[in-house]
Amino acid sequence: MDELIARALDLAAVRGAGYADVRVEQTDQEQYVVRNGAVDTLSVDQSIGFGVRVLVDGAWGFASSHDLTSSEIDRVTALAVRIARASALIPPQPSLRNGGLGGVHLGPPVTSRGSYTTPVQVDPFSVSAEAKLALLLEADRGMASVRGIRVRQGSLIFIRQQKTFANTEGAHVQQTIYESGGGIQATAVGQGEIQRRSFPQSQRRHQGCAGWEFITRMDLAGNAERTASEAVALLSADHCPSELTATVIIGGSQLGLQVHESCGHAIELDRVMGAEAAFAGTSFLTTDKLGGFQYGSECVNITADSVRLPGLGTFGWDDEGVPAQSTPVVENGRFLGYLMSRETASVLGLASNGCMRASSWNRLPLIRMANVSLEPGPWELEDLISDTEKGFYMESNRSWSIDDKRYNFQFGTELGYEIKKGKLGRLLRNCTYTGITPQFWNSCDAVCNENHWEMWSTPQCGKGQPGQLAHTGHGAAPARFRGVRIGVLK
Amino acid sequence: MIGREECEAILGEALRLSTAQEADFFLSVEELALTRFAGNSIHQNVSHSSAQLHIRAVMGRRLGRAVTNDFSAEGIGKAVERARLNAQLMPEDPDFYGLPTPARPSLVPSYDEATARFTPEGRAEAVGTVCRKAQALGLNASGACRTGVQQIAVLSTRGVQAYHASTFAGLLITAMSDTSSGWAKGGSWRLADMDVESLAEEATGKALRGRDPRSIEAGQYTVVLDHYAVDDILEALSFYGMGAQAVQEGRSWMAGLAGQRAMSPQVSIWDDGADLAGWPVPFDAEGVPRQRADIVTEGVVGAPVHNSNTAGKEGVASTGHQAHFTGGPMARNLFMMGGDSGTEDMIASTRRGLFITRFHYTRLAHGKGCVMTGMTRDGTFLIENGRISHPVKNLRFTQSYVAALAGVEAAGRRTKLVLNEVGFATRVPVLKLSSFNFTGVTL
Repeated sequence: MDELIARALDLAAVRGAGYADVRVEQTDQEQYVVRNGAVDTLSVDQSIGFGVRVLVDGAWGFASSHDLTSSEIDRVTALAVRIARASALIPPQPSLRNGGLGGVHLGPPVTSRGSYTTPVQVDPFSVSAEAKLALLLEADRGMASVRGIRVRQGSLIFIRQQKTFANTEGAHVQQTIYESGGGIQATAVGQGEIQRRSFPQSQRRHQGCAGWEFITRMDLAGNAERTASEAVALLSADHCPSELTATVIIGGSQLGLQVHESCGHAIELDRVMGAEAAFAGTSFLTTDKLGGFQYGSECVNITADSVRLPGLGTFGWDDEGVPAQSTPVVENGRFLGYLMSRETASVLGLASNGCMRASSWNRLPLIRMANVSLEPGPWELEDLISDTEKGFYMESNRSWSIDDKRYNFQFGTELGYEIKKGKLGRLLRNCTYTGITPQFWNSCDAVCNENHWEMWSTPQCGKGQPGQLAHTGHGAAPARFRGVRIGVLK
Repeated sequence: MIGREECEAILGEALRLSTAQEADFFLSVEELALTRFAGNSIHQNVSHSSAQLHIRAVMGRRLGRAVTNDFSAEGIGKAVERARLNAQLMPEDPDFYGLPTPARPSLVPSYDEATARFTPEGRAEAVGTVCRKAQALGLNASGACRTGVQQIAVLSTRGVQAYHASTFAGLLITAMSDTSSGWAKGGSWRLADMDVESLAEEATGKALRGRDPRSIEAGQYTVVLDHYAVDDILEALSFYGMGAQAVQEGRSWMAGLAGQRAMSPQVSIWDDGADLAGWPVPFDAEGVPRQRADIVTEGVVGAPVHNSNTAGKEGVASTGHQAHFTGGPMARNLFMMGGDSGTEDMIASTRRGLFITRFHYTRLAHGKGCVMTGMTRDGTFLIENGRISHPVKNLRFTQSYVAALAGVEAAGRRTKLVLNEVGFATRVPVLKLSSFNFTGVTL
């Protein structure tokens, strides 16, 4: 392997690359799906390949292949250099994106060396398929015990990604990242309605950089009957009312996705500099706002990190070889930091905070969230509800949408409750809330404490062309927001 | 590049090594080259060659699956054995009705040599044309130009044997001023259909006309939807309900509507994997030839698309719509009937309404009626007294797409092919809808 990597780096340099890096990756994945009592999927996937990224005449080229042979290494490296030379035909104009200089600048060299393996208590690949299916079938029986459920689904996923990264600056790192994920969903259909409940979170599953212990702690079977009962109860629940200035307590997993969409994507510096303008969009958090913009209220503290297990964005080094780290994004409401690559950080005269990740060997690394989390506040959830005279509690995402500058968002949740005189009241269906990002976060007046804080996950975050799905973590505890518009579906 | 002979050799090796009672093998191979640009320059430029062999092993009524891209005899051997072992672990599947039997798919000549051979320098030239035009107009162009080859092949112990190679070429452009943006997207399975100059003209023209937008109130508006917005409607209706699994489970907007008029008589939607006017794929991942499926005919809801599993449940034949190796059936080669109006006619007949270029980040808000929420983007204009009066800031909508199509007042005479992900495309007209529900505005 190391010989092939050295061959690619040497050839790239000989052909004129001022910088080159190589990633070789093998990903093994097991997936199990049980649907309505039957095993729908038992699949084992393996994918091996490599990608070569080069910088020639200040322009990027990238090529990749699944064929790990020396002749293919040569062909792909030569192709990457040719592509970079083609990129140089339409060179950058002096602009914000390149610091007014034209061309790509990477800042100080990266020379990381070492190895990293996700710490796991039980290797998920050592657990038998029979045990995994038995766990899902038990959860399915729990959901089946509730009358009125049309679709029951449970799934497990286990990923082992082994990758080696090396560059022409001397970096050489090896990593083995483990991920384990699982979840159940119950869908009730009736009375002209469709309602779904998920556990532990929506998006089909909750996932973490962890071993089998992550799954057993979920207790899918122990929560199956309750999950199904809630779906059936929602069919006849009252509709979420329409109000323009409601008080809303957002549950932890929903707030994790709120952080993801309205903060995590907005602080990607490549978006800010226009690299995603034609696809995912740009960001309202332009560089003039760095350090001074009041993104949220005093109680809003947001951190970006790649070191907090079991967050899905936890690793040893990013795909530019930059070490994992933790950096503040928002402190007491003030906007302090971006997610950066070497190239974008150098434009601002900063160092990368290690956010470049590729979804696979055949994709170019992009700035991706690792773990972007709302830090806990001082409140117990019970006290927060008691402190709310009139309001709503909303939990578990059902739909999400946000504009191309990350300003206007609208979320739907699977479930809601009315809060009256400090107590949870009637169950509500089809809950939605909508707002403008900085107005919303500045309306936050309370965040629950670490007893209610959990590292939630977004296992499929799309970005880039060709498309890439990243796995990201988002710690959050329930928090309260004032003056929120709710009930758009009514 | 892996060609037909090598595809067939890989499948043949898998068949030879398989010891399952029955099995089928689906091979997908993609050669993709994509040049991205932003700020009037190329910033990302990639090429990849990837292939995946999907194995489905059958032991009685038990099914096991495995996927690999290791095409050595050892790698293929491990994967077919893993699939067989997985099958042995599975309980019997009461909904398994046997592997499909051989049938001859249509021969669809959607492979274009010029497209397959297109070079990084050629893509740079296309991008350069766009960037120079934008720069000359004081605009900032971003986008992507992609070309490539997609091959799929199926082989099974029952004698199913199918191979198809197709090419694709597409260009999308966002042109931006400080206060506006314009969008254009074009292409097909052949490079010659990618009209760079006209796409650049379309995107920059909209960006120039969209400068200094005003904010308007949310509410109900008559809308004229450009091709790209109509594409979004068809894509959502497909994703959230044109497949039989979703209908059988009651999750689809089609559930309970078969034979009923749910949309305007001007609406006819069908799927046809063999039509060269689309982005054809003549058979599915089970090797079953794609049949034309009439989803909506003159406003009346028809039948969903099937794979062998959903078809077996209803005792009908598969329509050949198992798009991927796992998951349910899906309509991916969609067409919507055009009408006899020009876009200018639709605007001229509108007293007050909105012209919308495209939608952004649309998501299902409620399954019943396919209620979607999303934003307008890249060119939204107010129509007053039969003419476009001024650009407006983007709006959020929350709207049932089924109800929206019940209000079609006119359809454009020219349809346009809109390529999305590989193998998914729609050919759609511009539409005028009587009412669309906007629920918010952005800054």
